[in-house]
Amino acid sequence: MSFNPIALNGKRFLISGAASGLGRATSVLLSKLGAELLLLDINEEGLNSTKELCGDAVVNCISANLQNPVEIKPVIIGAVEKWGKLNGFVHLAGRPYVSPLKSINHNTTTEIFNLNTYAAIELSKVFISKNVFADVPGSIVFISSVYGIVGSAANVGYAMSKAALHGVTKSLSIELAAKNIRVNCVAPGFVKTNMLDNVSGSFNQDYYNTLNNLHPLGLGEADDVANAIAFLLSDMSKWITGTILSVDGGFTAQ
Amino acid sequence: MENFLNQMAELLEVDSVNPQDEIISFDAWDSLTSLSIIAMADDEYSVNISAQEILNAKTIIGLYQFIQSKK
Repeated sequence: MSFNPIALNGKRFLISGAASGLGRATSVLLSKLGAELLLLDINEEGLNSTKELCGDAVVNCISANLQNPVEIKPVIIGAVEKWGKLNGFVHLAGRPYVSPLKSINHNTTTEIFNLNTYAAIELSKVFISKNVFADVPGSIVFISSVYGIVGSAANVGYAMSKAALHGVTKSLSIELAAKNIRVNCVAPGFVKTNMLDNVSGSFNQDYYNTLNNLHPLGLGEADDVANAIAFLLSDMSKWITGTILSVDGGFTAQ
Repeated sequence: MENFLNQMAELLEVDSVNPQDEIISFDAWDSLTSLSIIAMADDEYSVNISAQEILNAKTIIGLYQFIQSKK
């Protein structure tokens, strides 16, 4: 057997936000690395498409609205009873929120916080229960953003939700170390996904060019982020916890 | 309509606006205000509009009618 320290055979991971973009790319990569997957999203059609892209891998799908915390636990408990305990999870579900301060809206900001941030905490809470965690070294990966690290105009609600994840990462990494669960966070720059298409639809070509120029290595691909996630889930990163890993083509190096 | 006028007045940083006012004629008009209008249209009317569509609408009433047409 060839040496492959990033292989994920025999491990099972939950992927939130798996119906599109980074979630889809991550699911496909992890399945190629041998992991069994439990895909979670509100978009069932998108989940089925992702499952098809995972080929012959063992992949099951569950649907829940992560903006509503009370939906999360019963859906995951039910899935784990059916398909087995988890070795970790990745919280990729998230929404952008472009709004200057003067148009910020409390309801929308709360929705963004619930999905981007609080769902990460709720998923962690469910994951550590003895009925869900496979009781072997575990790994949790959150996804923040360059805008959890550096500022940008018209982004206060989104930045709040992503910067908060950095605190969640560090706090939980300490709390869960005794359980042998690592907690890390990937902070991507802009990658070519549907989310960027939706956001950039509000702007013109000049803005798009500016965005591209902010990344010394250019805009990223979804696989660039998926590769970092796979590393953090694998035993290759077994001594890494509480870190915020920038995967941003040099955006925050400047 | 009255609610929309009040929302636009707040975003354009004036006490009140008239339906025939040109959107880009206000001192507060800039790219951030354009984004504010886009966010307001999404939050309040569940309508996605672009910066170019705001310019195309020209006036306050033109923008109101455009948003209504997309609902």
